[in-house]
Amino acid sequence: MPVVNKPMTNSNARDLFPGALEMMILESLRRQPAHGYALVQHIQQRSNNLLQVEEGSLYPALQRLLKAKLVKAEWGVSATNRRVRNYQITPTGLRHLEAEITSFERMFEGIALVLNAGKSTAN
Amino acid sequence: MSWIKDIFRRRSIYGDLSEEIRLHIEERTEQFMGDGMSRKEAEQAARRAFGNRTVIEERSREVWHWPALESIWVDVRFALRQLRNSPGFAITVVLSLTLGLGANTTIFTFVNALLLRAPAIADAGHLVEVMEHNAKASGIEAYQPFSYPGYTMIRDHNHTLSGFASFDGDPRTVSWSHDGQGQMVFGQLVSRNFFSVLGVDPNIGRFFADNEDKNGPGQPTVVISYSFWQRQFGGDRSILGRALDLNGAGYTVIGVTPPTFTGILIGSRPDFWTPLAMTPTLIHDPDRMGSDTSYWLLGIGRLKPGISKNEAQADLTVLTRSMNSSNPKEPALDASAFPVQLVPSPFRGYVAAFTGLLMAAVGLVLLIACANATNLVLARATARRRELAVRSALGASRFRIIRQALTESLMLSMLGGAGGLFVAYWSIPALLSFKPATIPVSIEAPLDWRVFAFAFVASLLSGIAFGVIPALRSTRRDLIPGLKDERQLAGPRRSRLRGSIVVAQITVCLVLLISAALCVRSLLNARSIDPGFSTHNIAVAHLDPGSLGYTKAQNQQFYQQLLDRVRALPRVRSASLSDYLLLGTSRLVHDVQIEGVNPPPGQDAIPLQVAYVAPDFFNTMGIPVLNGHEFSSQDTQPGVRKVIINQAMAAHYWPGRNPIGQHFKDEKESVEIVGVVKTGKYRSLGEGPLDFMYLPLGPRSEEFLVVQTRAGEEAALRDIRRVILNLDPNVVPMEMETISQYMALPLFAAHT
Repeated sequence: MPVVNKPMTNSNARDLFPGALEMMILESLRRQPAHGYALVQHIQQRSNNLLQVEEGSLYPALQRLLKAKLVKAEWGVSATNRRVRNYQITPTGLRHLEAEITSFERMFEGIALVLNAGKSTAN
Repeated sequence: MSWIKDIFRRRSIYGDLSEEIRLHIEERTEQFMGDGMSRKEAEQAARRAFGNRTVIEERSREVWHWPALESIWVDVRFALRQLRNSPGFAITVVLSLTLGLGANTTIFTFVNALLLRAPAIADAGHLVEVMEHNAKASGIEAYQPFSYPGYTMIRDHNHTLSGFASFDGDPRTVSWSHDGQGQMVFGQLVSRNFFSVLGVDPNIGRFFADNEDKNGPGQPTVVISYSFWQRQFGGDRSILGRALDLNGAGYTVIGVTPPTFTGILIGSRPDFWTPLAMTPTLIHDPDRMGSDTSYWLLGIGRLKPGISKNEAQADLTVLTRSMNSSNPKEPALDASAFPVQLVPSPFRGYVAAFTGLLMAAVGLVLLIACANATNLVLARATARRRELAVRSALGASRFRIIRQALTESLMLSMLGGAGGLFVAYWSIPALLSFKPATIPVSIEAPLDWRVFAFAFVASLLSGIAFGVIPALRSTRRDLIPGLKDERQLAGPRRSRLRGSIVVAQITVCLVLLISAALCVRSLLNARSIDPGFSTHNIAVAHLDPGSLGYTKAQNQQFYQQLLDRVRALPRVRSASLSDYLLLGTSRLVHDVQIEGVNPPPGQDAIPLQVAYVAPDFFNTMGIPVLNGHEFSSQDTQPGVRKVIINQAMAAHYWPGRNPIGQHFKDEKESVEIVGVVKTGKYRSLGEGPLDFMYLPLGPRSEEFLVVQTRAGEEAALRDIRRVILNLDPNVVPMEMETISQYMALPLFAAHT
């Protein structure tokens, strides 16, 4: 079973696990500050369009990150000369991201072990 | 508190969010248009790609909400609406809670004032109050203040205190002469280092210099209290350097205390402080400073760094023991050090017991109020069954409904608590005003944060107490009858609950009624006790012209003129003088020896309470002379040794014999009994018959004028006041009252 969503029909879509979107936003912002639209583009491109998040679902996540002071936002002008609200990761955000990635990797590893064990006994 | 900031920043946060989302959709639209769509198609596609904008915006905003708080706010508004719709119910519950919580808050304010508030002294943790302590005695009797020589010895020889100050525990009533008139003010004698040891800094001016005690009295100086300064001088800074005429001597004002400092004992709020060296001048007692048997000074020490209270106590005990060993008659005393508190440790137990009793009584009142409220809320819940059933049917969880019900009862109890604070605010000054103004005690009972916290917690608890049972009950039931609006009334279970609440209420009421009745009965009992003198038509005035520096001859002339003029007043039947009033607070004891009577073991004489009285005293006070006669004016001449004893003493030492003409030794001088009077109450109304002896009053400074009046003691008091004012406007009576006012204190003591 895939852990992440495939671009299937909507009925077959699966919610991301809580915190996944935030983690991806933070990871993108670690590479470079961006505004909301650019973040959506970036995440979709990087995931080879495997992940098709609704563009809007980014915003509640961004507000949560803002509230927790993991990112900060500033109005500015983009390279294409548009008025944009640019997000930047804070030092707290960086630390949080490291911790999240570690714990995510361990969880993923655990799930994979269990699934593989099932396969090997079935064989 | 960033969440508070967040609440205020919300408007701009939401604005930014909307703008950002608008720009996002715009950017996406342009992107699609760049791919070749028409503007309309592009806009629609962008919106689709974005998702439900309203929901997304709403969810983004919710991030900044404080959901629990905001849903509570909804509950509160709903509860307010509910209560507005049934004002009769709300007012009844709030009023009954206001009474209960008001009584509790009022009493707690006194508990707070007496036991919880700390004196306004910085770093009080390093201060100790010191008294001598007799390990063999118990209770208050075991504690004894220091004599002046004892104090200086400890001050100079201890190793554990960085400073040792002392003060006269009794506030002194002093006549302050200004503008040709005397006014009664309160002063306290303190060691010169008093303020420096306490660590109090002057508001203006300076305090006493530490070394001045050793160099004799010097220039008389005073420090005045901030409230005295404000009250009498309007806070005029030119007060510094001016002289106050206190008890006939001029004292230069050198400083004013800060507003927070009102002394360190509850009840005594001196108007001024003056050094101990002023004792002979201020209270005309030249021997007190040198005497090592006058115990009148309470000690206050500042612990050296790193020294504990117990180490200091051990150090000081070594000194007090060595001090008393020079006088073999006195028992060896330890030193006792305790924290500086408004009510010192030895007295705290008594205060706690008394206030605890009051708290228990008002606690019961609150219990009744809560039971009352529970009943009302239960009755209302019956009426609201349908509403609750509809809400449950619409999906409100039981918890949610209970929370709503509790919000309602908490609103009621908070309103009651606010009302209770108002009750306390108005009743405390009223209660304090019951104290006669002449008693030099003033208690500060402010509504500080502790009182507010108490009122809040008490309201919270009572709100929960009367809200929880009805809330649980109203949600534990079938919806169907409620929805069908069946008028079936309370089932047997509920009537049992309400019945038991009523029973509890009646029980507590009964307990309160019975204890109130007992209090009233003991008050009536006390009133019906015969104090041994008349309690009607008598006026008394306590005078001390000697405090103004009167000589012996002037004293005698003053009192003779006073008696003559008062006796000439039309409303006055008779008048006399004494140095003591029955049931008074002071006590004078003589050693007497009676032939054929063995003194108590270990003593060579019988201790006997005595008083000095002028001719016509017994007639004026309404004390029957049973045998013999009153003192005549010849008896007051020097060299005449005549005494009058009371019936108890006659029966005790001369049973079956006529005591008139008998001789015995009073303070080693032979005296003759000339009269026997009825036994009265001398120390308290509850006492059994005590032996008592009266001696003829010679000229002295401090005396009680007792006057028997025709009807209307109050008018007679005014006449007497005028006579005193005409004789010398600077003589201020320390007490001036009718005998029933005088009796208030012993009666109060008797029924508590």
